[in-house]
Amino acid sequence: MAWHLECTINGSAVERDVPEDVTLLSFLRDHLGLTGTKGACLEGECGSCTVLLDDEPACSCLVLAAQVHGRRVTTVEGLAHGDRLATVQEKFVETGAAQCGYCTPGLLMAAKALLERNPDAGEQELRVALEGNICRCTGYASIVEAVQLAAREGNP
Amino acid sequence: MSRTPRIDAPPSPTPYTEHEHPVVGHSCRRLDGAEITTGAIRYGADLFPGQAELFAAVVRSDQAHARVVSIDTSAARAMDGVVGVYTHSDVGGTNRHGLIRRDHPALAEDRVRYLGDAVALVVATSERVVSQAIRAVKVEYEPLPVIGDIDAALAEGAYPLYPGGNVMGGKRIRKGDTDAALARADVVVTETFHTQTVDHAFLDLEAGVARYEPSGDPPDGGLTIQVSGQWVHEERRLIALALGVEPEHIRIIQPATGGAFGGREDISIQIYLGLAALKHPGKTVALRYDRAESMRARHKRHAIRVEYTVGAKSDGTLTAAKVTVWSDEGAYASTGLAVMRKASSHATGPYRVPNVSVDVYGVHTNNNPTGAMRGFGACQMAIACGGMIDRLAAKLGMDRLELRRKNLIRAGDDVATGQRIPVATVVECLEAAMARFRQKGEPTQPAEPHLRRGYGMSAICFGLGYGDGFPDCARARVAFGDDGKATVYTGGVDVGQGLINTMAQIAADELGLELSQVRVVSADTMLTPESGSSSATRQTYFSGNAVRMAAEEVKEQLLDVAGRHLSVHPHEIEIAEGCARVAADPDRRISLADLVAEGRRRGYSLDARTLFKPRTVCEDFDTGQSPKAFVTYLFGAHVAQVLVDIETGEVKVERHVACHDVGKAINPKAVEGQICGGVAQGIGMALMEEVVTREGRILNANFTDYILPTIHDVPKVECLILENDDPGGPFGARGIGEPPLIGAVPAVLGAIYDAIGVAPSTLPCNPERVWRMIRDAGGGI
Amino acid sequence: MFHRPATFAKALAIKADLGGRVTPLAGGTDLIVGLNRGTSLGEEVLDLSGVADYGDIDTENGSLLLRGGVTFARLARLDIRCLADAARSVGGPQIRNRGTIAGNLATASPAGDGSAALLALDAEVEISHATRGARWIKLADYFLEYRKTALGDDELISRIRIPAPDALEATAWYKIGKRGAVNISVVCAAAARWPDGRLCLAFGSVAPVPMRATETERLIGTGPLTEELIHQAAQCAMTEVRPIDDWRASADYRRAMCGVLTRRLLRAVRADSEGKG
Repeated sequence: MAWHLECTINGSAVERDVPEDVTLLSFLRDHLGLTGTKGACLEGECGSCTVLLDDEPACSCLVLAAQVHGRRVTTVEGLAHGDRLATVQEKFVETGAAQCGYCTPGLLMAAKALLERNPDAGEQELRVALEGNICRCTGYASIVEAVQLAAREGNP
Repeated sequence: MSRTPRIDAPPSPTPYTEHEHPVVGHSCRRLDGAEITTGAIRYGADLFPGQAELFAAVVRSDQAHARVVSIDTSAARAMDGVVGVYTHSDVGGTNRHGLIRRDHPALAEDRVRYLGDAVALVVATSERVVSQAIRAVKVEYEPLPVIGDIDAALAEGAYPLYPGGNVMGGKRIRKGDTDAALARADVVVTETFHTQTVDHAFLDLEAGVARYEPSGDPPDGGLTIQVSGQWVHEERRLIALALGVEPEHIRIIQPATGGAFGGREDISIQIYLGLAALKHPGKTVALRYDRAESMRARHKRHAIRVEYTVGAKSDGTLTAAKVTVWSDEGAYASTGLAVMRKASSHATGPYRVPNVSVDVYGVHTNNNPTGAMRGFGACQMAIACGGMIDRLAAKLGMDRLELRRKNLIRAGDDVATGQRIPVATVVECLEAAMARFRQKGEPTQPAEPHLRRGYGMSAICFGLGYGDGFPDCARARVAFGDDGKATVYTGGVDVGQGLINTMAQIAADELGLELSQVRVVSADTMLTPESGSSSATRQTYFSGNAVRMAAEEVKEQLLDVAGRHLSVHPHEIEIAEGCARVAADPDRRISLADLVAEGRRRGYSLDARTLFKPRTVCEDFDTGQSPKAFVTYLFGAHVAQVLVDIETGEVKVERHVACHDVGKAINPKAVEGQICGGVAQGIGMALMEEVVTREGRILNANFTDYILPTIHDVPKVECLILENDDPGGPFGARGIGEPPLIGAVPAVLGAIYDAIGVAPSTLPCNPERVWRMIRDAGGGI
Repeated sequence: MFHRPATFAKALAIKADLGGRVTPLAGGTDLIVGLNRGTSLGEEVLDLSGVADYGDIDTENGSLLLRGGVTFARLARLDIRCLADAARSVGGPQIRNRGTIAGNLATASPAGDGSAALLALDAEVEISHATRGARWIKLADYFLEYRKTALGDDELISRIRIPAPDALEATAWYKIGKRGAVNISVVCAAAARWPDGRLCLAFGSVAPVPMRATETERLIGTGPLTEELIHQAAQCAMTEVRPIDDWRASADYRRAMCGVLTRRLLRAVRADSEGKG
């Protein structure tokens, strides 16, 4: 059976029939071609698939597409301002926080949620905000630095 | 001191003193940074939308060891949407792969040897159907005895997994007279270490697409496969053999790659995709693993047992090391033989040991094949060797740092293989790391009675490249376009480490160009020359040299053209700021675009291909000795500080200092990234990561149970980069990939030892194991 | 069929109608893991994430009433230490934003962090049926055996009541995992103390269900927490729990940790009580 889904994705209204057992991750990638959001564990352990649901980070692999009916979804594709990278994206590049880059979209979304909520977060709060995102490449130091720099500049 | 008199403070290696480099040595932004952070970059699975027409999936064995009696594909074939089901008899070539021995059937023939063995391939019109259809393939097995670990493999009367028995191979080193030296030693320490099976756990799961157009060769015809590996040209050869297709008929393109760490060295999905594409010409076929399949199918880091005996004089001078290593090779050879060789040659690390005896044995089991993973055997040996130094220091009542200082190699000393090391900077690394560590003062004990703080150190070396006489080379091409920009062609794959930047920076610097004037085309068998694998910490050195040489050759052409054009000797020309100009009279100039046009007019190719192929010498079969087993060595030292809860066994790494001599940091930020990332993986290996198997079955093939370090588990690594130029490296560079992990684990283990007074010998040091260590030592503290 | 009712009454009606054939789905942090591993959600799915007020928190006669859809993120902001700490220890922010307390109780994992904390708080569960109405049941009586609960096939968890949280003297939480965050507990424990001296102690991952350590509680009684009593309580807790060996940890270790955690929690509770006194 299909569910008639109405939601907002990266600021645009989306109306689609989706199979009821399709996850938001699969909907974004396979149905909409928004492949910036990544799948890696599909059990909520790595955060690669993080998107914002009404500004709160969630694992898109653990949400059914039908469950975001009436809600706002923001993905990594919705971060940049046209050709200009958002501050947090810019800082990820600058500090080397993006190595293989596969965890980067999820981390950017988790970081954006924090920066919107509390740009003055201390390092411990920052680490808690990113604790649901696994990075296998960087050892996290450059990621912490990137988010701190973005916080300092404001305007995530 | 009784060793041969020497100048104790060796002359400091000459720092690289060429002109200040305009591009090399700078932390230039990642060229693919914007693509990565906007999500525009395409990894394997990102190629599916809009392209995939058919989906393939693999039927896996549900037996760890069995004879395949029959495979009934009829029910699967009959399913709606299934367009093909294939078994080994449908494979046109040898059906075998394997980087050293071609022993691994792509699809099982008469036998399955581990639970991840592939038995059949299903192709269907949707992923949903194909995932159901693989369950409809009925395989009848006749179970065979399962060999679950090294002991079972070696047991009296153990079922022989191969006609030759269960010992897959071995490697030995005989240097001096170890038994006699141990008999004469004032102190002898013995220990047995057990290291665990580790998964690469790169986040970007195996995924890709393939398409076959029967007429012609690539790009218009032939078989095109887009899958992330670590060595596209070797993968093409292996696919060609297995499928019975001419290599020229195959094109491998590497998509963006989300980490590898050795886990993409063996063939993964390439042959399956190739087979499916060949059977369904004109259709783009897609295939991906989920995490469970990825972990069940892929090779792993070797679990090994090391029996280590070290002898020393009462003053701490090491005299002998006797080492026996047993490694779980799993079901197939993979790169195990090379891992064993690397383990043997690194058995005593960077320590000066005159008498060394090493025996390494690889043992087949019905576990996953074990092969390449960051550290490649050297990592396990650094754990054992470093652990022995700590134990010896305790036994001698000597300071751990002093004992290391006394025994670490200096320039001109040799390592276990007898190779003399002309530039040995391990002592410098250790001193620098300790100095940084002590800047914050000696760690103090916490007030809480159940907490103990300690620190540990490691000093490591790593032989760069394949070594041991294995042909090791890189090719590169640099060519100018009409726009005056240069393109670098390298077969090397960027698995996330930043190879593209490294190569671009080297070429830009050599050519006198801005980084933005250089484009890199990498890892496409049709467009790029073969550069060997992105492994063994070799690409900066090998491909870096090849790119530099090619750039040099093109630059010479440019200088010749400019010299003629500007009527001066080419030596008087410099290239900078987008033009060629007379160095002494910079107003006499020609823009690069014009220069390229001028060159073309004069018949210059402005296009160069090079081969960089330094020779190594095979280690002697009987003694393991070689004057040059590796092209060069890397050195590093770590200091870790931990806090241990002695009641629960929980360990937290509070500080981690890592110092590495990289020769020259082409991109310092990228080097730091490798160091911090290697430390994180080292902390994972030291404290938590472990593939748990029972009778060949992995119990934790998912990220809920195979746990990786989170952001709370890795402190901000304090990175120190030393740059003592390597005489043979590009701009003096060596490399950095593997050593940070190798150095991290023994430092953390040493810190636990320091904190609780019990020396770890089994990994990982998870809370329960640490608790047991303390309890078994009778409180121990 | 995917049901996405906007009211809890509608949800109850669907559940009563379809019974065991409909799978209630809240945050999905457990069920959709199964879906991703190839286990179908079933033909009928009852999505509770669209129920308007299912995430509300109310107070009533000094008790705190959590509706079933309250997320761990919300629990983490409560002023009840053991529950907030337990909630903070669940997954990462992405999971805490989605995972709900009713989901945690319905799944009834022996390792459920929320369950152990609520047990120590002497919480009750309200189980509702479309026509039969609601019944309250002590959480300690709710967990029957491994992954079996008192929740009927045609019922839903409507609310959880925490009695008199403001009166609590002190609470404490401790969880042992294998890394710094996002852990399945190897052992977790919670303790709570009321002004009358009554102390509740609960454990996760040491029995087929999250459990109250009632014998230990009896031993502790209501008197002052002396070091000697704490020591005896730790011994008692170690004999009272029923851990098993699995590859994540041995029964030995889990048992020993119950002793360690009992000591730590009781000392923490004592320190906090004294601080208040």
